Amino acid sequence: MSEEVRMPASPEYHRPRSLEEAWRLLEAQPDARLVAGGTDVLVRLREGRYHPPALVSLRRVESLRRIEPGRAWTIGAGVSVAELLEHRELAAVFPVLVEAGRRLGSAQIRSAATVGGNLCNASPCADLAPPLLVLEARALIASAAGEREVPLSEFFLGPRRTALGPGELLSALRVEAPPAGARATFLKQGRVRMDIALASVAVRLELEGARCVEARVAAGSLAPTPTRLGEVEASLAGTELDEATLARARAAAEREVRPITDVRASADYRRHLAGALVVRAVRALTRPEAR
Amino acid sequence: MRDTTWIGRDLPRPDAADKVAGRAAYIHDLSRPGMLWGKVKFSEHASARIVHIDTSRARRLPGVRAVITGDDTPEIRIGFLRDNVALKRGRVRQQRDEIAAVAAIDPDVAAEAIELIRVEYEPLPAVFDPEQALHPDAPLVHDRDASGRPVTSNLLPVSVRHVSGDLAAGERAARYVAEGEFSTPLIQQSCLGTAGCIAEFDLRGNLTLWAKTQIPFLAQRDFVKALEAMGLEGRNARVIVPALGGAFGTGLDTHCYEYIAMLLAHRTGRPVKMLYTREEEFAFLSPRQSARTRIVQGCDAEGRLTFRRIDVLQDNGAYTSWGATYPTVMLIPATSLYKVANVWFDARIVYTNNTYAQAMRGYGNPEVTWPIERTLDDLARQAGIDPLELRLRNVNEPGETTPMGLEVTTCGLRECFDFAREKLDWAKKRGQQRGARRGVGVAALVHVGGSGRIYRSDGGGVILKLDDFGNVNVSYGGVEMGQGLHAALTSAVAEALGVTPERVHVNPTDTATCPWDVGTHASRGAFIACNAAIRAAAKARTKLFALAAELFAPEVARNLEAHQRRNPGYEPPNFDVGAACAAGRFQLASGVVTLEGAPAEPWLRLELARLLRAGHFRGVAGQMIVEEAFYEPPSTLPDWSEGVGNMSACYAYGVQGFEVEVDDETGEVTILHAVSAHDVGRVLHPQALRGQVQGGLAQGIGYALYEEVRTHEGRVLNPSFTDYKIPTAHELAFPVDVHFVETDDPAGPFGAKGVGEPGLVPTAPALASAIEDAVGVRIADLPMTQEKIVRALREQRAPRGS
Repeated sequence: MSEEVRMPASPEYHRPRSLEEAWRLLEAQPDARLVAGGTDVLVRLREGRYHPPALVSLRRVESLRRIEPGRAWTIGAGVSVAELLEHRELAAVFPVLVEAGRRLGSAQIRSAATVGGNLCNASPCADLAPPLLVLEARALIASAAGEREVPLSEFFLGPRRTALGPGELLSALRVEAPPAGARATFLKQGRVRMDIALASVAVRLELEGARCVEARVAAGSLAPTPTRLGEVEASLAGTELDEATLARARAAAEREVRPITDVRASADYRRHLAGALVVRAVRALTRPEAR
Repeated sequence: MRDTTWIGRDLPRPDAADKVAGRAAYIHDLSRPGMLWGKVKFSEHASARIVHIDTSRARRLPGVRAVITGDDTPEIRIGFLRDNVALKRGRVRQQRDEIAAVAAIDPDVAAEAIELIRVEYEPLPAVFDPEQALHPDAPLVHDRDASGRPVTSNLLPVSVRHVSGDLAAGERAARYVAEGEFSTPLIQQSCLGTAGCIAEFDLRGNLTLWAKTQIPFLAQRDFVKALEAMGLEGRNARVIVPALGGAFGTGLDTHCYEYIAMLLAHRTGRPVKMLYTREEEFAFLSPRQSARTRIVQGCDAEGRLTFRRIDVLQDNGAYTSWGATYPTVMLIPATSLYKVANVWFDARIVYTNNTYAQAMRGYGNPEVTWPIERTLDDLARQAGIDPLELRLRNVNEPGETTPMGLEVTTCGLRECFDFAREKLDWAKKRGQQRGARRGVGVAALVHVGGSGRIYRSDGGGVILKLDDFGNVNVSYGGVEMGQGLHAALTSAVAEALGVTPERVHVNPTDTATCPWDVGTHASRGAFIACNAAIRAAAKARTKLFALAAELFAPEVARNLEAHQRRNPGYEPPNFDVGAACAAGRFQLASGVVTLEGAPAEPWLRLELARLLRAGHFRGVAGQMIVEEAFYEPPSTLPDWSEGVGNMSACYAYGVQGFEVEVDDETGEVTILHAVSAHDVGRVLHPQALRGQVQGGLAQGIGYALYEEVRTHEGRVLNPSFTDYKIPTAHELAFPVDVHFVETDDPAGPFGAKGVGEPGLVPTAPALASAIEDAVGVRIADLPMTQEKIVRALREQRAPRGS
């Protein structure tokens, strides 16, 4: 018999119970892929996008699943989106996270998908990214060597690329509770309700009376990464958010985003949506009942 | 209408409990001892010469039991024009052409083996646009037909035309004319259950195929031909249909994967299962045909239609399915939706290197109803007549013979419009809500209601087998695919025979045990099955009453003795049982035989089961009650070159209406309210019927707003539900007023018409009309996506030329 063709081995599957155990596994197999909810990793595995020698599941690592209130809240990367939505205290402080979490996938997906997974997947359309960007969340990055913290805005480097180095993982997010005058909202447009965002926008405004003292605007699916829209923010800050301002904000959004054309939508439509959603979000936040 | 006991009642669906509990066995659940898994290697080019296929590495993979190609297997020709072969030789004509296949011990090994097959191609010119395919210089998708004769054009030799009246006179009589070009996209049938089969040979060379099919008997014929091609003349192909998770037209043809499973099973001597993943289903199963339509129609000053001209161009893809007969059904709305005297219809079907298409629910009807209904709105605007009123001025009526020769026995279209008008609050809302970006719209449909004859037999048979316990086992050759056929058939058998529904058991569909049926298409399942069942039940009753004539008197005499033992001193009323039996005055209802006019004494009734046992256990005269009836509907096979013929025994009508709100920033359409009114002849099983109507509505909404198989050079770009969007509960969260008009058709079983397809036929034009009413935009090409609506709104706002 001639050369026998070998079947590729299925990846090994590890379920560490602690980060220390996870570090050891990663040291032994640096090409192993971390998996939490699996809602992105398994799809890409099935599509044959990568063939890791091992999968390291983080589901049993309890320390990743904490939610700790405080002036700055700590939200573990392993918290599922469903758990995030069910946390009443958190929902009261960060209603914008609830708005975004509710639009993420289906109930089944939300039960499995994690906050950290949504961010580490580094898709431009990650639903939790725009609200966390306007909340100016910080990413806690852990490795065997210790912990470091980077602003979430510096976490996304490109499509599927993050600031995580070899042997590092996202352990939690730190999010400061917003001041009393601040309010935020998240808007997402899909082809149908349950869809990957064609465009999404989170807007956070701090108002003093009718005057906007600070504006933070972030967008999803409108650039290679989830991103803050500085020009839009500048167009809103220091104004009374009148119609002329909104027109300028719309134009700024259409100018500032860098969308692509794909099978879901054209760049042109996404650009239009960027402006429309920014204006709509500001209007929603300044309606009398929102105050 | 006849008084009935079970018809029209909401009985539990016989298939419901098993399906809800996960017990129903779909092809995905089935396994056979020693079974292997088959998988196909598909082409990576839309048009190419196959230079070389290297299967050596796949063959060496442990667990692989067979690798086959077109070069080492018999040629099996398939398809409506027999222009397709199960495994391609030398040439591929579409991205999904089957080049090789493997059988392996499990699906993973099979998938791995497929990856190891290397194919060398020499790309050839290709054509993807049906208009361009008609150009004289276009590359020929096929340069020879199935019998080897050279061909010179990509035009299919399938012509359906119709010319009636005097088109020029109709044009002269028109005061207003509306015209336009419209299109409908390639869409996926999106069955919950993906495609698959198991092929197994016995040692004598007979085949059993568990198939996801709607045409068990035409499939049997196709498979027997394939056995001949494999050198197995005189052997049988038995087709068994498992539970189906939807079919919607995908089961109207046999498929290459089924023949490949046969070849692999024959090569290995083992049962072979093929199962498409969702992605494979999207990329490698035939979607619904796309169509481009050019329409002109006109009306006089009063809004009465004077002429209609429709030209259809249909993209066939690389091979020909039964979907090539779409134009036969397009003729129905083209000639017979509303009264119109002078009609021209022509359809051209063109080969391209796109994925070959097949039929889907509605079968050409929505493709043509779309332009007809859209241009009616245009005529109404020109004539200054309310669009619903304009439709009523042309409404179809009973007694009419249409230009195609359709004989309208019953027609409840006017009542359907009346219902929609009232429920939509039409007079107050049409044209009145532009400020709120809200609008209402309606559209109508006509479809075959008494099957549709496109084959020389349009019949179907039913066998009723009664057993010693009073059970009635029903065998019918059509298929339950989720539509509620078995529910309707159960009610009809119980009603017609005179038993309770729980005694009726519909058998799985199997060509070995069921009588012939042409297939479950053309909304014909319940219409044919129930008509055949009524006839079989009448024969069974005749036999049962003949038995009763002999056995009723002695049996009730025993009843009387027992009754008297329990009730000493009981004196029976003065009733001559013998004379009544001799007169044959029997009744059978709810499984009990009685005598007409007899006193209501408990002993004077005979359980059907006892009568059956008495008939069975009587020595040499012993007898079984097994009755069959074959029902062939009173219709004619049209002459397609003339486009004339009464192809159905009756016709179904309906109206759908919507109220929508359109977001003029995002283009999102929110449906606030829907109305779906249908002339169903008679309601057989309300729950199953509502399911059909609401399911059709949901599918129609997908067709109208969201769905499109996107391709680039014949390759499917969105082969998953991630990027092929169908409506979900959120998009369908609006009230629906469903209404049934019962016109009691003389050909229908208990008066019923077929209703499987109508639910999606007028959906898109009704929604389009409501969208236009809301924000003034008109979109000619389905689906009406948010993006298209936004673009149209911008064009509306921008001055021309800017």
